[in-house]
Amino acid sequence: MRPSISPVLASLANVFRIPLSQTTLRPTIPLLNQQTATQPSSPQAQARAPFSTTTPLLKRKSPYIDRRVTLIRYFLYHPLTPRPLRFSRTRFLRHWTIHRAWQLYQANRRRNHQLELQRQWQAMNAACEELRTGAGDGGKLFRKSMIKTRIFKDMFPIEYGRMQTEGPGEGWNHEWKRVDKPVKR
Amino acid sequence: MAHCERASRPLIQCLSKSSVRGISSVQLQTRAFQTTAAVQEEAQAEAPKQAFYKSPDPALVSSPRLERRLMRQGILPIGSRRRRAALQATSSVPFEQLPYQCFQEARKVLLSDREEKLKEITTTSEKIAKIQALPEEERTKNSNHSRLRALELHLERLKVHADINDPLVKKKFEDGDGDMSKPIYRYLADQKWREYRRKILVQRITQMKVIPDVLPHCDPIVDTKLYFGRKTVPPGEFVNSQASSVAPKLDIQPFDGENRLVTIAVVDSDVPNVAEDTFDYKMHYLAVNIPISALNTKVDLSQLSTESQVVLPWLPPVAQKGSPYHRLSLFVMEQKNNTPLDFAAVKAKETDRDNMLLRTLQARYHLKAIGAHLFRTIWDEDTRDVMQEIGFPLADMELRRKRSEALPYKRRNPVTMRG
Repeated sequence: MRPSISPVLASLANVFRIPLSQTTLRPTIPLLNQQTATQPSSPQAQARAPFSTTTPLLKRKSPYIDRRVTLIRYFLYHPLTPRPLRFSRTRFLRHWTIHRAWQLYQANRRRNHQLELQRQWQAMNAACEELRTGAGDGGKLFRKSMIKTRIFKDMFPIEYGRMQTEGPGEGWNHEWKRVDKPVKR
Repeated sequence: MAHCERASRPLIQCLSKSSVRGISSVQLQTRAFQTTAAVQEEAQAEAPKQAFYKSPDPALVSSPRLERRLMRQGILPIGSRRRRAALQATSSVPFEQLPYQCFQEARKVLLSDREEKLKEITTTSEKIAKIQALPEEERTKNSNHSRLRALELHLERLKVHADINDPLVKKKFEDGDGDMSKPIYRYLADQKWREYRRKILVQRITQMKVIPDVLPHCDPIVDTKLYFGRKTVPPGEFVNSQASSVAPKLDIQPFDGENRLVTIAVVDSDVPNVAEDTFDYKMHYLAVNIPISALNTKVDLSQLSTESQVVLPWLPPVAQKGSPYHRLSLFVMEQKNNTPLDFAAVKAKETDRDNMLLRTLQARYHLKAIGAHLFRTIWDEDTRDVMQEIGFPLADMELRRKRSEALPYKRRNPVTMRG
């Protein structure tokens, strides 16, 4: 007789270390065991521990189970977890080639972006310098343009106070009232 | 059609289709495709084609009947049946021309990058040549000097980076066929060594306190392997005294392109000195002026010339019974500026094995430790024979720890301390 249980349940049972053959084939046996164990069967056992109200099974501590280990095992052996990636030699080399090319491409793109930013910054710097020295007004225009009061200084734009989405948020809560403390007299 | 053949059919179809349709594109990239094919056709035309079932190839056979016949002849088929069935049609395509689109695009990217690197290599070497062509007083100026050094370093790095993305280089290195005269293979070997073996070595020589005991400092940059007979000895291993009675062989692998002259010394730092209740040093081997390079790595300590290299020949290490284990540390030390030492002077001066410290030698001859190895020896059943062979004095003596006198009984909680 084969245990008629789905493979998913079987693997879960394997994860939680539930003995499958026992539970499926003879479900009554562990129950019987529990019943016999919970009731002190013989008068000798009662005589040995006359003051104890707990049964020996309750008193026995279960072994320490690390939940993290259980979870790792759960996800590692879950039927939906894909199998480990195994490649043949040439397949791996091809994979590695493509990976390296992609890395190289990304590195080049990052570098170009950095260079572009650097170029823009330097161009802006040169323009400011030109404004300071070449405008013929003793640098007044440059100094005026460099005054940054009221630009993100005295007040930060309220629009940036929350995540920019399409609609407005709740805004002001007009219903809110200060909770008055009871004054001691 | 067998199951395996059916499984590999899509791949075969893809290959045959691409070989018909994509031949023009492949030809543009490399001519090799066509030449190899032509060569194969010629070869097939020359040899009278024997039927496959008469002499099946163990790498290609896929039908169970032929496999059985091969196995009856004592030849095992290679790989899985599925793989062999796939190989029947694909073995003629070299790796770079495998018809996978993404792979070919990736190869194009890598090849263009390699072209750029090669261009940069030529410009850098031109710059170096320009600086070197300057007159002497110009060249030794500080700015030019540092610039030359920086350019050389940059050139080294470029040489490595030009080839590091090549899958065939990687494959060759993993197969152990790397040519150590090329910078890329030396670089890869260095990376591999530093990943594990160097860490182990450094851990052993520092945990067993060889580093402060024998030399104050050592930064290994060459890979040293030690063989007694045919057996390789991992650093810190106990070696049977019979095995270590003959001089070991060394495999010293430097990872840069320089030719070096090195001094090799083997020091025992645990010789018990009963009279003074301490431990002494003993030099078991000393040889100077040994040339090593990336290609010339093998050094047999017993085969070195006694006229120009070996200062102190190999003395088999023995540990007296009852003495703690002896650490025998081997140091490979670079001679300054690769100038050979005066062998006659060294031989005349360094004669006393017992009172010779490696620190003294290092300072006297301007040596620098570039490689190290360590093995240990302890009393075993063969030590007695080895001692008799080399005429070790007091071979029959066993060392014992001195039994310390028991102190008189003293109450732990005397009256004076009780409150």
